[in-house]
Amino acid sequence: MSKPHYDLEHHVKKATGIGDPQCFKGEAGKAKFKVGDKVKVRDISDLFYTRTPMYTRGLEATVVRLVYETPPAEDEAWDNTENVEWMYSVLFKQKDLWPEYSDTFSSDTLETEIPEHGLEPA
Amino acid sequence: MVKINPEKITLDEEMSKRNLDKSSVTLLEEVKTKGKVWRDLSKKWGVENPDPPWKITLEATCDVLSEVSCALPGVERRWEEDELTDEHYKDVPFPERQLLALAHSMIRRGLIDEDDLKRRMQEVDKRLNMVE
Amino acid sequence: MSKNHKAAPMVDEVSEFEILELAVRELAIEKGLFTQEDHNAWTDYMHTLSPIPAARLVAKAWLDPEYKKLCIEDGVKASLEVGIDWINQMPTKFGTPSDYCNLRVMADTPTLKHVVVCTLCSCYPRPILGQSPEWYRTPNYRRRLVRWPRQVLAEFGMQLSEEVEVRVVDSNQKTRYIVMPERPKGTEGWTEDQLTEIVTRDCLIGTALPKPGKTANDKRYVRPAVNPYGH
Repeated sequence: MSKPHYDLEHHVKKATGIGDPQCFKGEAGKAKFKVGDKVKVRDISDLFYTRTPMYTRGLEATVVRLVYETPPAEDEAWDNTENVEWMYSVLFKQKDLWPEYSDTFSSDTLETEIPEHGLEPA
Repeated sequence: MVKINPEKITLDEEMSKRNLDKSSVTLLEEVKTKGKVWRDLSKKWGVENPDPPWKITLEATCDVLSEVSCALPGVERRWEEDELTDEHYKDVPFPERQLLALAHSMIRRGLIDEDDLKRRMQEVDKRLNMVE
Repeated sequence: MSKNHKAAPMVDEVSEFEILELAVRELAIEKGLFTQEDHNAWTDYMHTLSPIPAARLVAKAWLDPEYKKLCIEDGVKASLEVGIDWINQMPTKFGTPSDYCNLRVMADTPTLKHVVVCTLCSCYPRPILGQSPEWYRTPNYRRRLVRWPRQVLAEFGMQLSEEVEVRVVDSNQKTRYIVMPERPKGTEGWTEDQLTEIVTRDCLIGTALPKPGKTANDKRYVRPAVNPYGH
């Protein structure tokens, strides 16, 4: 394996005038999940940085949109933009997130984005 | 079946607990005590703008520290602001509170020095209050 | 000083806070953390920001179903029609960790009400909505909205029946969100300008509903979070 070369200006050059996350479009390959799929948020450990909310971990959700392609925040925090993956917008039932949530309002939901590596089939 | 986690907390709370020296900064305590906040000044002078003129330049400072120099990433600054507010600046209105927290974070991170800042404030004070 | 900020003093009295702000900035520049030019570029950019483009986007969508479709499909593209270029207006020309270039417009229906929060810090669609209000940044709002959305909305004066699904949107990754509320009754025949006026910042965050005659946000008391979890 060749030694990785980290060019700190790389991202700037790549994204200027195109946008972030637009500049990663087409790099993630085939998406593992599709709209309507039932998924579960993996409770994986991260080194110092993550953007996957703690309150969603281990819980089931439904994919509502494949939003964009990007390196996950856990990598970007270290300037690593090599592993581009799909970002999914997923929908949780509030009742699943917070067991004390009122039954009267059992149709209430919460939507947020989780990167592909943070999800597994439910 | 949903597994219940009674200890569930939000991410900002977990992350903000790291490595922050929350001890007070003498200089900033002085500013906090002596400083006149915009809420009072604007009332006194009958000015309607809800924000002090320096709010935009403060925001710009926060942005360039994060986006241009990466010296103080935005998300960390926000976490520290919340923690420091809780500890020292609860009773200070916004955006004065954001300014005190920013200066506090920068001093504790060694980006600026408290004594340097004190000297510079005296200089700026002279300059801004110069009678022309 | 940047060209848009020739601060003719609005208050003829220099406060310690004003002095501190300038001193911090000058020291940071001397230390080489950033340059005066960088700072000017951002200050100028900040001066251009306001919630009006987002309000106009919603008003246009109320009048034009095709445009509404575009808003839902591609918020960044739809923003161009209200004069906001998410990519090239930013001083960086690509977005930043706080302003990524992905906007989603969350359209309410009679049975679905969206409300936006960033539990992580206080991410906010600044390019189209301006600076976030103080309460949006507080731990109180950020921690409680995800868990007790109806209670928090009630504090904002919004009580919704059980027929309405409340959908909290947590802006934790690169997408930034605005809410497109339902067009209120009593606005039949209104122009785009008239409609734009009633789409306040709070309507666009999702904590208020548009109403004829109401063109300003409610004043809010900001409370600290006291034991907001674990019970």
